[in-house]
Amino acid sequence: MDGVLILLGWIGLFAPTALGAIGSILGCARAGQAACGAMLDVESGYGRFVGLSALPSSQIIYGIVVMFSLQRTITAENGPGLFGIGVLCGLALMFSAIYQGSCCASAINVSKHKPEIFGLSVAPAAIVEGFAVFAFIFALVLSGNIPA
Amino acid sequence: MADSRSYYTLIASLPSLPRHFDVERLPISAPRLEERLKMLTDEDAEIVRQWTGFLHWDRQILDRTDEDVAREYRRILGEISNPTLREMIEFRMDTRTIIAAVRRRRAGMPPPTGVGQWVEQIRNNYDHPEFRLQGRYDWIGKFDAALEHGEAIEAQRLLFDANYRHWARMAEQFTFSFEAVLLYLARWEIIDRWTSCDDESGKKRFETMITETLGDYANLFH
Repeated sequence: MDGVLILLGWIGLFAPTALGAIGSILGCARAGQAACGAMLDVESGYGRFVGLSALPSSQIIYGIVVMFSLQRTITAENGPGLFGIGVLCGLALMFSAIYQGSCCASAINVSKHKPEIFGLSVAPAAIVEGFAVFAFIFALVLSGNIPA
Repeated sequence: MADSRSYYTLIASLPSLPRHFDVERLPISAPRLEERLKMLTDEDAEIVRQWTGFLHWDRQILDRTDEDVAREYRRILGEISNPTLREMIEFRMDTRTIIAAVRRRRAGMPPPTGVGQWVEQIRNNYDHPEFRLQGRYDWIGKFDAALEHGEAIEAQRLLFDANYRHWARMAEQFTFSFEAVLLYLARWEIIDRWTSCDDESGKKRFETMITETLGDYANLFH
């Protein structure tokens, strides 16, 4: 039984990084593809498209920070706690990155011919980022309560 | 996963379509659009080919009887599995049946054989000005009035406008999917037809209709 709990602990420890990475990969790929398409259709403003398409990369950074905050000697006592916080935080980061990628792709698509709405079109992506930040911050707060 | 049928690059590479179809020039030329569509997978390119094939058939319908049209329509639907494309074709044929009914009633003829979901409705309400379909097709009355006044271009404009608005409403449900590509093409085709509507092509079309209708007798007085 102890072995299973320790295994869960290891999964929880690495989950924020792994799931955050998966989310960032998919999110950046979606937004990046839209940026490439927009470049075919317009003659300028390429830089901001590429910059925006990198927005979903923040989730992997949050994941790495959470992983370090959870890092400790894994035991049967702290394994379930690490698993719960790590996996749930990782899932939140993953989904936020994927859907933020979609928001960025839409922002790129709608603002390519209307540069004046670029700032406003980024707002949905920023809101999605806010939810990722919530998951990140409270994972850090709760990680302090897990026995070392 | 769902991304295999997502087209972020393709959709973002297409210029946005205007709110109304009656613009002076196409947002993207046919050769350039064809070039962009090469980003489609083979399977999706085949579905696009089915759509363009249907449009071609739909516009060359003069020399067919109603039974031929109904048979061909069933054959086309039997070949198509994509639900959005089926819905688009059904909508187009429903519209065509309504147009045929309006024209035949104006000519004092019985209801058309027609195809689609409104055949019975039209038959049962043939005396009603709008076949009691005004809730779904708000253009029928205006179309009928335009025909009555001999305003062919206005009648065509009403049809284009109704179709364009319908495709635009459908497109709101899709963003970067293959369905968004199909609906883009449907609206692009309307703009293409409208922008290519000029006196010369109208005359050519009229001469084609005369030749197809009268055959060898078309040149009797030449």
